[in-house]
Amino acid sequence: MNKLASRLKGRAELGLAALLGAVGVIVILDAASLTVPYSQADPVGPKTMPFIIGGLLLVCAVLLAINVLRGGQGEAEGGEDVDLSHPSDWRTVLPLVGAFVLNILLIDTVGWVISGALLFWGSAWALGSRRYVRDAIIAVVLSLGTFYGFYLGLGINLPAGLLQGVL
Amino acid sequence: METFDLLMQGFSTAATPMNLLYAFIGVLLGTAVGVLPGIGPAMAVALLLPVTYALEPTSAFIMFAGIYYGGMFGGSTTSILLNTPGESATVITAIEGHKMAKAGRAAQALATAAIGSFVAGTIGTALLVAFTPMVVDFAVSLGSPSYLAIMVLALLAVTAVLGASKLRGFASLGLGLAIGLVGADKITGQQRLVFGQPLLVDGLDIVVVAVAIFAVGEALWIAAHLRRKPLSTIPVGRPWMGKQDWKRSWKPWLRGTAYGYPFGALPAGGAEVPTFLSYVTEKKLSKHPEEFGHGAIEGVAGPEAANNASAAGTLTPMLALGLPTNATAAVMLAAFTQYGIQPGPLLFDSEPELVWALIASLFIGNTLLLLINLPLAPVWAKLLQIPRPYLYAGILFFATLGAYAVNLQAFDLVLLLVLGALGFAMRRFGLPVLPLILGVILGPRVEEELRQSLQLSAGDPAGLFSEPIAVGTYILVALVLLLPLAISAFKRFRPQPQGVPAGAESRDEVSAAEARQGATVASGPRETIAGEYQQQHDHKEKP
Amino acid sequence: MTVLVGYIPTPEGAAALDRAIAEARSRSAKLVVVNASRGDVFVDDRFVQSDGVEALRKRLDGEDVAYELFQPIGGHDSADEVLDAAEQHGAELIVIGLRRRTPVGKLIMGSTAQRILLQAECAVLAVKAAK
Repeated sequence: MNKLASRLKGRAELGLAALLGAVGVIVILDAASLTVPYSQADPVGPKTMPFIIGGLLLVCAVLLAINVLRGGQGEAEGGEDVDLSHPSDWRTVLPLVGAFVLNILLIDTVGWVISGALLFWGSAWALGSRRYVRDAIIAVVLSLGTFYGFYLGLGINLPAGLLQGVL
Repeated sequence: METFDLLMQGFSTAATPMNLLYAFIGVLLGTAVGVLPGIGPAMAVALLLPVTYALEPTSAFIMFAGIYYGGMFGGSTTSILLNTPGESATVITAIEGHKMAKAGRAAQALATAAIGSFVAGTIGTALLVAFTPMVVDFAVSLGSPSYLAIMVLALLAVTAVLGASKLRGFASLGLGLAIGLVGADKITGQQRLVFGQPLLVDGLDIVVVAVAIFAVGEALWIAAHLRRKPLSTIPVGRPWMGKQDWKRSWKPWLRGTAYGYPFGALPAGGAEVPTFLSYVTEKKLSKHPEEFGHGAIEGVAGPEAANNASAAGTLTPMLALGLPTNATAAVMLAAFTQYGIQPGPLLFDSEPELVWALIASLFIGNTLLLLINLPLAPVWAKLLQIPRPYLYAGILFFATLGAYAVNLQAFDLVLLLVLGALGFAMRRFGLPVLPLILGVILGPRVEEELRQSLQLSAGDPAGLFSEPIAVGTYILVALVLLLPLAISAFKRFRPQPQGVPAGAESRDEVSAAEARQGATVASGPRETIAGEYQQQHDHKEKP
Repeated sequence: MTVLVGYIPTPEGAAALDRAIAEARSRSAKLVVVNASRGDVFVDDRFVQSDGVEALRKRLDGEDVAYELFQPIGGHDSADEVLDAAEQHGAELIVIGLRRRTPVGKLIMGSTAQRILLQAECAVLAVKAAK
C-alpha cells in the first residue's frame, strides 16, 4: 500500500523520463533521416553527434524511470524567496502563463506598448497585487520607457501596432 | 613586463568616462541583483543581453563584469542580515555572519565581508593577470584533439561533480546538447531538428535559451512557491570594524583567497568547496574557536574572501580557453558569441584591447564596489521592500522584451515559453540548470572539434588520442567518472571511523577527500559545520 | 467586551499596545492584538518575527489581561485585517498608533490609520509615540 502510494506520487517525474526518451527518439530519428554522401573531408558527418546525444538521452530516460520507480526523487530547487513547504501554486502560475500567451498573441497586432503593459499588469495581478491603478501606471511607464529606450538607445524598432503614428 | 604594459593599456581603455559609467552601472545593478531575492548575476546578465545589439563589446563586458562581481558583494549582505543565502557560495557566510548580526555586530560582519571581498577580488584579479597569459601560451599549442578532450572534461566535471544527482545532471546535459543541435549543420548545411520550420534553420538563439532557462523558468518557479511569511532585516548602521576585528580578519582574507582562486579556475571547482574549506581552516586556526557557531568574525572573513577569489578564478578558463565553469560565466560566453567573437586562446591575440580592458575593469569595479557597499549597506537593505508582484512581473516583462528584440518574431516568444516551462520542470524535478546551458554553448564546439580531429586522422578514432594532453585529459575524465563510484564502494566495505580526533589526519588528505566528494567528510569537531553545510549545499547557484 | 490593538514593532506600535493594555484592564475586557502583513514583500519589518512574538507574549502574560494574538498574512492591507478582526470580535474600541507624516507623504503613501479611523464601526483611539 505504502509502496503503491509512493509510486503514484513519483508519477509526475516519470513524465520527465518520458520527455527525455521522446527527445532522444526524435533526435535519433531526425538524424537517421539525413542523407549525406560520405565525404573524405568530413568522416564524422552530421549524424554522429545526434546519435551520441540521442543515445545519452535514452539511457538517462531509462535510468531515470528506474530510479523513480525505486523511489528516487529529484530534489526541488530551493532559493531565497522559495518556500517548498507548500505544493506548486497553480493559481499563480496559470494566470502568469496566460498573461504571457496573451502577449504572444497580441504583440504583432497591437504593438509592444499595449501588449507589454498588459503583460506587466496581468503578471502583477497574477502574483497578487491588487492596486490596479498603481500597477497600470507602472506598466504603461515601463512599456513606453522600453519602447523609446530601445528605439533611441539600441536602435531597435519595437512594433508600434495600433499606436502607429501616435508614438 | 609585456603583460604589465598590456594591463596599463587596458586601464586606459577602461578608464574612459563612458566605460567608467558602464562599470558603475554594472556594479550598481550587480549589487542590486545580489541583494534582491530571486535574481542573481546570471539572470541579470541574461536579461541584459539585448544591449549587445548596440553597445560595443568592451563596454558591454565591462558592465557584465561589474554585475558578476557586484552580485558577490550583494549576496553577502542578505545572507548576513537575513540568513537567506541565495547561492550555495554564501551559505557558509550566513552561518557566522547572521549570528554576528543577531549579536549586534552586523556592522562588523558587513565590513569584513566587503573589505575581504575587495582584498580577495583584487588579489584574485592579479592572479588572473599573472596566470591567464601562461594558460593562453599553453593553450595555443593545443590541437583539436586536446581541445575536444578538455571540453569533454569540463562538461562531464560540471555534470558529474556538482548537484545532488549525477543522473539528473546527465539528463540536463543531454537536453542542452540536443538544443544545441537545432539548425543547419555548419559543415554540410544539413538541417537538423528543424521540422520544416524556417525560423529554426539558424538554430535557437542563445539569448532566447538563456533568458528562458534563467529568467522565465526561475520566475515561474518562484511564483509557484512564493514565501508568504515575510522576514525582517536586522537593523544596521554604517559598516565599520575595530582594531581587533582587523587583526582577526586579515589572515582569513588571505587564506580564503588562496583557497578560492584555484577552485574557481578548475572546471566544476565552483565556490562551494573553497568557502567550506576556508571555514574549516579558520575554525581550526582561530584563537577563539569557542566563538564559532556564535558569530566568529573569521568565519565571515575567510569564506567571503574565498567566494570572491573563486569568481576571479572562474574568469581564467573563460578568457583563456573559452570554458565557462559557472552559470554567469556561461551567459557571458553567450554574449561573446552574440558579438561573433570566438572565446579561447586566440582571443588574447585577436581582441587584446577588449580582454585587457575587461581585466582592468575588474580592478576598477572592485574598488567601486567597496566604495558603494561600505557606506550604503543600509540603503541596499531597503531594496528588499520592493513588492514581489512588481519584481517578478518585471523579470517576465524584461525577459519577453529581450527575447523578442532578438529577431522581432513572436515565434521566439513561443520558444521562450516552451523553454521556460522546461526550466520550471527542471527546477521542480531537481535537474541542475548549469549542465544544460553548458551543453547548449559547448555542444556545437565539441562537435566541431570532434570532426576536425577525425578529419586530420581520416576517420581513424586513434586520432582522438594523438596528443599527449588529450590522453592525459581523458584519464582525468575517467577519474572524474569513476572516483565517486570507487569511493562509495570503498565506504560500503569500510564503515566511517568514529571519533577520530581532529588533526589526526593530515590536512592535505582531508582537503583532498573533501574536495572530491563535494565536502562530505564529517569527523570530530567538523561534524556540525559539515552537517549544516550538507543540508544547505544543494542550493544551486542563484541564476 | 473586547479591546483591539493594531500592533507594529515601532515606538507608535508600542505606545498603542501600552494604552490598549491599560484600556482593557480598566474595562476588564479581552485584548486582541493584530499584527498583519500583506505578505507580498520579501522583508516586512512591521511583521513581528518568532523571537519578537515570544517577547510580546511574555510581556502580555505579565499583564493581568486575557489576550489573543493574531498574525494574519493574507494579501490584504493591515487596515482591512484590523477592521475584519474588530468586526469578528465585536470590539468596542480599536487602539492604533499614529505617526507624524507630511501632507505630501500621506498623499503618496495612503494611510492605514486613516482607513481605520474612517471605516471602523466602533470607537477608535489614536495615540502618538512617547517622546
